[in-house]
Amino acid sequence: MISDRDGIDSGSFRDPSGRILHHEGRVFRLVSETGWKEFSAVWSSGLIDDLAADGLVLPLTEVDAAVAGNPADTVRVYEIEKLPFVSWPYEWTFSALKAAALLHLDLHLKALAKGFTLSDASAYNVQFRGSRPVFIDHLSLRLYVEGEIWTGHRQFCQQFLNPLVLASVVGVMPNAWYRGSQEGLPTTDLARLIPWWRKFSWSLFMHVVMQARLDRAAIAGSGAVDTTAMARARLPKSSMIGMLQGLRSWIAGLKPPAGMTVWRDYAGKNSYSDAEATAKKQLVAEIVSELKPGLVLDLGCNSGDYSAVALQAGAGNVVGFDVDFGALEAANARSQADNLNFLPLWFDAANPVPDQGWAQQERRGFAARAEGDVVLALAFVHHLAIGRNIPLPRLVDWLIDRAPHGIIEFVPKEDAMVQSLLALREDIFPNYTPDAFLDAVKMRATVVSDTQVSQSGRRLVRFARLPGRG
Amino acid sequence: MTMKSGLMQFVLLIVVALVVQSGPAHAYLDPGTGSIMLQMLLGGVAGGAVVMKLYWARIKAWFSPGDTPTGKTSDDETKPGGR
Repeated sequence: MISDRDGIDSGSFRDPSGRILHHEGRVFRLVSETGWKEFSAVWSSGLIDDLAADGLVLPLTEVDAAVAGNPADTVRVYEIEKLPFVSWPYEWTFSALKAAALLHLDLHLKALAKGFTLSDASAYNVQFRGSRPVFIDHLSLRLYVEGEIWTGHRQFCQQFLNPLVLASVVGVMPNAWYRGSQEGLPTTDLARLIPWWRKFSWSLFMHVVMQARLDRAAIAGSGAVDTTAMARARLPKSSMIGMLQGLRSWIAGLKPPAGMTVWRDYAGKNSYSDAEATAKKQLVAEIVSELKPGLVLDLGCNSGDYSAVALQAGAGNVVGFDVDFGALEAANARSQADNLNFLPLWFDAANPVPDQGWAQQERRGFAARAEGDVVLALAFVHHLAIGRNIPLPRLVDWLIDRAPHGIIEFVPKEDAMVQSLLALREDIFPNYTPDAFLDAVKMRATVVSDTQVSQSGRRLVRFARLPGRG
Repeated sequence: MTMKSGLMQFVLLIVVALVVQSGPAHAYLDPGTGSIMLQMLLGGVAGGAVVMKLYWARIKAWFSPGDTPTGKTSDDETKPGGR
């Protein structure tokens, strides 16, 4: 949920052509005088409406400036849809990043066909509605000048292509690196990691190996580089289209690393009997249908079984979080196949995404964004309390911060799954008990219901957060 | 760029690119230089591939009696810069 206070969006400042404004619960795209000089041609061509009809960009609705409170330095105001959740490329699954990359290329090709182009290729300009990517930065569309080079090529490589190549060709998921280096993965660094026998791919050789070598050559021999000649470099339109199409067909064939999960089979590998699992789902469905939440946060979503249950029970949107890439791939595949309003994202609960970027305000972290109407934490607590040594009261406190209502599952020590967590380590958790858990919940919330859902003593606790807290 | 000096420099840079192993970071050179040079290189190749693809479609259409030559091709045979 873009739950920003009223005002200019904290991540919207780099482009002088406009801003994103949050005003009285609505979201507006403001266009400055400079921006309008470029954008007027795009707007009057009907390109935005065409692309929006294809689901490629967020629709723009022109409104009177007064609706947005007559913002300064603005000559045009458009209302845009409020996205259920803003996510960053380093939180996306492989398939989501791939879908975003293909969207970017398709959008660029469609724009070129109508005489327009994109001034950059930032992955942050793509957001998700469910598992469906959508382009949000209308002001980076502008008139194409015959023969101009693809200025966004380097950025496209760093922010879309290189992370996909790292995963698909090297077999390492890019998210931790991407998170640390938010402009993406430098091509010169990636090139060093490619095994020699993979360099025989034409696209990989050109876009990664060759580009890196040219970059290094340019830096090493910087005195010899004629920058004015570089500035005059031309690329025929047919070649630019060829490059985009070539990248498109290459990326479309990239696959996530094989066998990267321990959790993918989890749905069939837990301590529940079928009847118990059915009863648990029914309970979650009952609670969700009663609360009718707009946004559910499913922490430890695994492949999205309960996210799907919540959506079926009437939740507007579910954002799932998990640490396991394989489970997240399965969740993303489910969301795509059933066209769900379900976005599964990568996160490590013990080290969530921080506020980062310029002044640490550009890309807001997990805590600043994860404000749901309902939080689900099913089979989640024991992984952190026992797997990561997070004290139970702190963990429960953190969970209750996420939403005013929620369902937390407590898995007791006797349960087979907790036993396996403890199998190779000393039990240093004397305070991991149902009573201690309930006491922690009651510090911040009312226990609305407390239901045992398995023979092993698992229970689902529904809470309602107490109002006020300093 | 002027044809001759530009081409000379470009060829030189390709040679340097294939020889050089690493270079010091240079704060004042636009780090997009590699991308621009790559596009100068790909400009020829990809542009050529687009033309090839057009002709390939026509040749194929010639041999398939049912189809009319449209110049349209499916994705898998267009490999300008593809694998």
